[in-house]
Amino acid sequence: MKIDILEMTPTKAELVISDTNPMFVNALRRTIVSDVPKMAIDNVEFHLGPIMDEGGTAYESISPLFDEILAHRLSLVPVPTDLDSFIYRSKCSCNGEGCPSCTVMYSLNKKGPCTVYSGDLEPIGSEKFRVKDDLIPIVKLADDQALLIYATAELGTGRQHSRWQAALGAGYRYYGKIEIDHSKCDVGLSCVNVCPRGVLAKEDKKIVVRHPENCTLCNACTEVCDTGVIKVSGDPSKIIFRFETDGSLTAKEVLIKGLKILEERFETLREQIGKLEE
Amino acid sequence: MIIPVRCFTCGKVIGSAYEEFVKRVDMGEPPKDVLDALHLDRYCCRRMILTHADLIDEVAPY
Ligand code: SF4
Ligand SMILES: [Zn+2]
Ligand SMILES: [Zn+2]
Repeated sequence: MKIDILEMTPTKAELVISDTNPMFVNALRRTIVSDVPKMAIDNVEFHLGPIMDEGGTAYESISPLFDEILAHRLSLVPVPTDLDSFIYRSKCSCNGEGCPSCTVMYSLNKKGPCTVYSGDLEPIGSEKFRVKDDLIPIVKLADDQALLIYATAELGTGRQHSRWQAALGAGYRYYGKIEIDHSKCDVGLSCVNVCPRGVLAKEDKKIVVRHPENCTLCNACTEVCDTGVIKVSGDPSKIIFRFETDGSLTAKEVLIKGLKILEERFETLREQIGKLEE
Repeated sequence: MIIPVRCFTCGKVIGSAYEEFVKRVDMGEPPKDVLDALHLDRYCCRRMILTHADLIDEVAPY
């Protein structure tokens, strides 16, 4: 198996995996979607009753949205995650009570009229857990409304709930294999013009395949060709795999962690099969 | 109501793109170019922004 990187940015990855088959790539896809852990807000405490400001004005601690909806919106905000320094709360030495090695606390204190943004979440403790995407609107507050919230984030996986899903839009497709019979081709350029992805081009009075990695196997070129010299097929041993992240982890971290989880799982399987043979 | 935090279909964070989208379209930019510039490539995410009805200001007084 060989992996080539077409694109790797902090939130997006596109890879060509060759000498493989769809089963392997699908296993990787399922792992990065549902088993790579990340931090997300899981518990939100709302202050109830009136909130006073310094000048003595009283605000009501309500908002236009239900508290449950607010909690849900907060949980979907991507929280920066450091996989090396956090462990699952259930496996932590604090027995699930919450401590700095399994939990990050946030506070939010806003008085209306205003829009509450994800950037208003103040991390308690280290500044490195400040939410990077600070412009997500959470709720709007009217004149005499205020919010005082304490939220705790912990580690989880996409298998439990989508707020812990590290990778999104993960998918794969076959690498296009485009064959052109140059001896019969009349170079009418109909295929070049119809291709929605700019795969084909004319070079030296010949149609050439310029960007095979962009081909989506849509077959528009084969249909439009009168002479029938283009053949498009997918190559199941060479697969283009891509995914994005929500920003809590980088695409590279997600990929490496996913491969590690797969490796561990196969190792466990191998051990168990080894035991069966004895 | 208020713009959802994430795309319903794929889970991409789209909430932070909405206010910029509205501002730039109001200034006369074509919506297509703004969506492309905000890296909303899939049509699931694009419809979240395009079809959203922002009603929170209407319900806030109640
Ligand atoms: S199959 Fe579609 S994308 Fe691929 S070369 Fe033909 S027209 Fe272009
Ligand atoms: Zn702990
Ligand atoms: Zn989407």
